Amino acid sequence: MTVEPNTQPALAARELTKVIGKRTIVDSVSFELRPGEVFGFLGPNGAGKTTTIRMLVGLIKPTHGSVTICGHELHRHFEAAMRCVGCIVETPDLYRFMTGRENLEHFARMLGATGEDIERVAALVMMAHRLDQRVGTYSLGMRQRLGIAQALLGHPRVLILDEPANGLDPAGIREIRELLRTLAATGMAVFVSSHQLAEIELMCDRVAIIHKGNLLRIGMVHELISSRRALELRVGDVDRASALLEERGMKVQRDTDRLFVDVEDNDVPPLITALAENGIAIYSARPRVQSLEEMFIDVTGGETVG
Amino acid sequence: MINLIRNEMLKILRRKRFAIVIGILVAILAVVSYAEYRQLKNRGERNWRAELQQRIANGQNFLRRTNGGGPWAKSVRAEIKRSQFYLDHDIEPNKPTAPMFVRGFANVAGILLLPLLVAVLGSDIVSAESAEGTDKLLLTRPVRRWKILASKLITLWIFSALTLLTGAVLAYVIATPFLNPRGWNAPMFNGFAVSTATFRPDVVRELPLWKDALIVYGLDWYAMLVVASIALLLSVLFRSSAGAMGTMLAALISGTILRLLASDWTSAKYLFVSALPLADFYTGEPPPYEGMTMTFCIVLLGMWAIAAIIAAFAIFTKRDVFG
Repeated sequence: MTVEPNTQPALAARELTKVIGKRTIVDSVSFELRPGEVFGFLGPNGAGKTTTIRMLVGLIKPTHGSVTICGHELHRHFEAAMRCVGCIVETPDLYRFMTGRENLEHFARMLGATGEDIERVAALVMMAHRLDQRVGTYSLGMRQRLGIAQALLGHPRVLILDEPANGLDPAGIREIRELLRTLAATGMAVFVSSHQLAEIELMCDRVAIIHKGNLLRIGMVHELISSRRALELRVGDVDRASALLEERGMKVQRDTDRLFVDVEDNDVPPLITALAENGIAIYSARPRVQSLEEMFIDVTGGETVG
Repeated sequence: MINLIRNEMLKILRRKRFAIVIGILVAILAVVSYAEYRQLKNRGERNWRAELQQRIANGQNFLRRTNGGGPWAKSVRAEIKRSQFYLDHDIEPNKPTAPMFVRGFANVAGILLLPLLVAVLGSDIVSAESAEGTDKLLLTRPVRRWKILASKLITLWIFSALTLLTGAVLAYVIATPFLNPRGWNAPMFNGFAVSTATFRPDVVRELPLWKDALIVYGLDWYAMLVVASIALLLSVLFRSSAGAMGTMLAALISGTILRLLASDWTSAKYLFVSALPLADFYTGEPPPYEGMTMTFCIVLLGMWAIAAIIAAFAIFTKRDVFG
């Protein structure tokens, strides 16, 4: 992915703040979405993800701060701004008493979209065959797809999806991932929220990490997440192995039968060779994906999630 | 805007709300017209003059017993005078024909049934969207919130008219096998100025039945528009359909009971439910409280509707939509 530095952001959130009573739910969150990128919004449940998304799409009025979509200030030019957006907020709730097609027709009429658009989006999410059944009979995964289809009806330049992987099986998640990448390749800015690190890592180019209403970090995914990997080694002699690695200047954590080593990908092969040459039995060696919780402990300096 | 209204109409139809309304109308009309038919059959040749004289005598007895006081005296007196008027002019009142049945339906249904049906249609028009979570989609489309609410209100008004029209057509269709289907031009006498409880023949209007029926249906529709506007406000206020519908039904029914029982509490005339039976007041039923003229009722209802609409729009366009 290439980001042209001078392009107008597809969406810009500036100092978004929501205070309800005395509680600050979201505190001065700012970020920009660039055309053509998949942007992850990562945080545990209750971090303020959904409140932020609701402010992005005008469901909640920010106490302070502004949202600009495709150059239109959301609260001053709601219609122009929202014409650029397709979204699913929280759960993909559609009208259960109508068929998939009737739902799409309903929202198409609000946008001035055509019958061709309906066929197009139904094909994109691969559910043309279920379109004439009532939404009440759909599984959560099917509703998720229909929700995405609905969001794509108006040729949006910004796609906002809240936990799109919820309710999908692994194959479905892969399809959605590929779909989002394809859409981003056409220049669409895709915003995806999630509480699952692995999902964000696979899907996104950049990621923002939100915790207790505060934006902790924004950066490229590989900088924020991938580098924070440890290698998990199950070895025969834990004492000797850890002594050997510490000699080489590595940070080692010990468990009863295994070691966790902070190491860059490039340093892994020589490390394993060294252990093998010293006659240490290696039963398995695998990257240990850091859990979201562990990463938060890192980022917040010891504070736990919750 | 037309597209928005189409959407709202589609949703009401798909939710089977209007089917429920039609079902209720059919059931009630079938029962009532069958009862009417049985009554007619049992009576055989009807001696309406004797009936009227009997009614007058009963009324006078009642007044004598109660010394002309009590909550019912006023309407009894009006009824006596009306019967006397029919006798004097040799007119058979309420001659049961199908057109008369259609006309009578508007009177009877206008008191409670039609407002209830509007409440059934209207109470969940906004609250169902919040309850089902579809408001999140509806309100994140490039359409301003006031337009969405306006489309819902107009849809309710259209369905009020459809309900009324369906009621009229059904009343005619269902009554036709039992009753004489002709007689749209029969003369109707209305407007006994009973709000002052003095009989003034000079204000009695004589109209052909069809014209009279149109006026009564118009008044019913006006009352339904007001109920629809208030139902919209409740639907905005409540997140659950049950809450909105329950409150609306409670208001309508308790208002009706209040009207029948507690006419001493005169401030109740400012409640919208007190003024709802416009068709009845037009026909000659005395309004429940002193000082309620037709103009007063129409203005009062209008003010309730406007206040409800202003409140509904103010809340709906400003509020935060949480999950």
